[in-house]
Amino acid sequence: MSAVLQVSDLRKAYAGVHALDGVSFEVEGGSITGLIGPNGSGKSTTIDCISGFQKLDSGKVVLAGNDITGKVSHLIARAGMMRTFQTVRVYEKLSLRDNLAIAAQQFDPATWVDEFLRTRRYRDAVTASEKRARQLVELIGLQKYYDIETGILSYGQKKLVALAAALMPHPKIVVLDEPVAGVNPSRIREIEVALQQLNQAGETFLIVEHNVEFITTLCHKVIVLDQGLKLAEGTAAEIHADSRVLEAYLGTTPEVAEEEMRASA
Amino acid sequence: MKLVLAIAAALAFAALPFLSGSNYIVGVGTSALIFTVAAAALNLIYGFTGLLSFAQLGFWGIGGYATALTVVTFGGNFWTGVLAAAAINAVVALVVGYPMLRTSRHAFVISTLTFALLVSLIARDWVDLTRGPLGIPDLPPPRAFGHVFSSTHQFYGIAWAFSVAMLAFLYVLCSSRIGRTLVAIKQNEPLVRAQGISPMPYKLAAFSISAAITGAAGGVFVFHLGIVDPLILDFYYMQTFLIIVIIGGTGSFWGVVVSGVALSALPEALRFSDDFRMIIYGVILVVAMFAMPSGVAGWLRERELARLRASLR
Amino acid sequence: MTIDAVYLLQLTLNGITLGLLYALIAVGLSLIFGVMEIINFAHGELLMLGAFAMAFALPVTGLLYWPAMAAAVLCTMVAGFVVYETLLVRLKTDEFERSILITLGLSIVLIHVMQYFFTATPRIIDTQYGFDGVDIGSIRITWTRVIGAVAALVAFAGLYLILRFTQFGRAMRAIAQNREAALMVGIRPRVVARNAVVLAAGLCGLAGAAIAPIQLVTPYMGQFLIFKAFALVIIGGLGNIPGAVIAAIALGLIENWIGGFFTIAWQDASVFVIMIVVLFLRPDGLFKRGGMRVG
Repeated sequence: MSAVLQVSDLRKAYAGVHALDGVSFEVEGGSITGLIGPNGSGKSTTIDCISGFQKLDSGKVVLAGNDITGKVSHLIARAGMMRTFQTVRVYEKLSLRDNLAIAAQQFDPATWVDEFLRTRRYRDAVTASEKRARQLVELIGLQKYYDIETGILSYGQKKLVALAAALMPHPKIVVLDEPVAGVNPSRIREIEVALQQLNQAGETFLIVEHNVEFITTLCHKVIVLDQGLKLAEGTAAEIHADSRVLEAYLGTTPEVAEEEMRASA
Repeated sequence: MKLVLAIAAALAFAALPFLSGSNYIVGVGTSALIFTVAAAALNLIYGFTGLLSFAQLGFWGIGGYATALTVVTFGGNFWTGVLAAAAINAVVALVVGYPMLRTSRHAFVISTLTFALLVSLIARDWVDLTRGPLGIPDLPPPRAFGHVFSSTHQFYGIAWAFSVAMLAFLYVLCSSRIGRTLVAIKQNEPLVRAQGISPMPYKLAAFSISAAITGAAGGVFVFHLGIVDPLILDFYYMQTFLIIVIIGGTGSFWGVVVSGVALSALPEALRFSDDFRMIIYGVILVVAMFAMPSGVAGWLRERELARLRASLR
Repeated sequence: MTIDAVYLLQLTLNGITLGLLYALIAVGLSLIFGVMEIINFAHGELLMLGAFAMAFALPVTGLLYWPAMAAAVLCTMVAGFVVYETLLVRLKTDEFERSILITLGLSIVLIHVMQYFFTATPRIIDTQYGFDGVDIGSIRITWTRVIGAVAALVAFAGLYLILRFTQFGRAMRAIAQNREAALMVGIRPRVVARNAVVLAAGLCGLAGAAIAPIQLVTPYMGQFLIFKAFALVIIGGLGNIPGAVIAAIALGLIENWIGGFFTIAWQDASVFVIMIVVLFLRPDGLFKRGGMRVG
């Protein structure tokens, strides 16, 4: 396996405070990589910087061999990185069908000329997008809402819509910003299963999450950030055994921390 | 279904001059058709894209002057005049739209307003070109293939064909992927960017197309009036377009078309006094913004959604 | 053309007076924007009400300037209170376009109600000072202009003290700087917003009262002034009070200088041209927003 995403020496400061102080990591193709850390450790800043929603001060981001450092967000998306947002974002007044179709439209070859002439290219693109959308909707179990405005869905269901939309154009990597935050605990398992199925089908994920159990059951590799620095990196088991991580994460002794980690999960 | 209704309505409107011999009624019908086009163009930029543009008034005026000047000063005819109005507006909109759209949405609103005021100052003060406050009276009636559209009834035919063509174009645009993308930009711009779509070209295109159509409508309108003067830039027109869009329902194509036809007749029905009419306009605007912020179409849609929600529980 | 120094001085002094009055309007708009993130389209009509109040109060006070001005300010403050409590209070944050349309409706109603009752005929307002003035060499500045400028300066000093040292002024600045944090420490946005609107209306009433004896009073007088004030608020950076003041005074000067040497057309158009140029060069205005700084 080779690295789809290579991030090296990412730096970002706000008014002199270092939010990111030289973070480097890689995401293997076909893997699920987790990014955890306490509040203010730089997780969100990291993904905002690599997806072009914030300007980075220095560093390098390479996506599948293309240097995407400092590019604007829509160009990074076109290069193959799709992301979701911490506070869920969907088009509330458009149907689930339209939500998914828009997510893919920039990536098909049909232009507006094709559309107005209803060329073969346009029809093929629509058929392909429709097929992909149906598959994903089935996977997230929202078939009966397909033609309904997504505004009426629950928060957790909207998170699933955002996930499906991010997958629509067969991206090289999907970056999920807290996919289960604010989701009803009974639904977290569903998201977990969906992500595992997608990963087995070859999708690559980078997940930022507070929910440690979610990350440790799902991820092949976990990266721990603390105060803008990479504290540790390894498999879930390695991270779990790392006393520095527990200390940074919860600021207490390993025994107590582990106890709290279990309780919080 | 909607399309069948629309075609039926369009044909019914075509029949108006044959049903009424009154110049007054046919004249009101002409205004109604033109106002509906201008309101539908405002709906494209405000209702669909979410950008409240007062520049429409400026484009309406530029269109009026461009058409009239093409005929009177530059020796063209009505048809080339309307085309020129659309083309000039499209270009002006691209030029002024780019810096305006780069600012915040707050500054955008104010700068479009400023643009409209600037156009009205030019109309008043650039006397060499626009002939100043006196304007250009006695615009000649349009002619085509040796036929002169001199009566109110004949001019109605032009207004009808123009509005049907423009509304059909706007309908195709709004129901296309482009229209869908504009709605997406209005609802959630960061998400649009995260999906690889750059909002700026879409916004600029919507602004420019909306300007071109508004300008063409302004051009047809001044030939309906027979005169163009700085009053074409009276804020009254902007208020009328806004009220049509708001009552009809921002972002609802058919809602705005129906309310355009209905509300254009309203000022005529309310011929108490100009002041009284404007007071009623203002009250309608305030009340509508509180009672039905998304217009009649939005209100109907809310009810439908509420039913849907109940059935899904 | 040789530039006559005395003529230039007169233009400059008139420009400063006019600029200070523009600033009164623009500062109110900026204050409301800072606290509520909305634009009050009916702000010019508050000014018009202030001018009419001045016009009606003067005969009652026997042409005495100061009591009539106080009455006008009080009148617009009450109007501001009513506008806030009936209309603006219902707006949620992030309803900028809605705020514009609502206050636009209000502005249409106010203009035409006033026109219906008091006709569009311009009124000339006489005060105790008449056309007397202070002579500087061969030029004369009328007392009404001098006093208008002084009243504006006093109002700015008062505003500065209020924003800087009073509880409710600090609350306004807190909300303008960081809404979430301000709410967390228990600032009540409704009270603060109401205070801001009433304060802004008072400043606008003062401007109206001061302008009334200088210009003609008509129901439309607010409209053109407010459009200029909008442009000023953008040039100065939305929500930035010192920015608005600087832009306003600069505009007063520029307009008078241009008006002195070119045709009236350029005088009216200058502000809009300047605004478009500024937006082209600096999309956020000349002075960045950065909360509501007062010094």
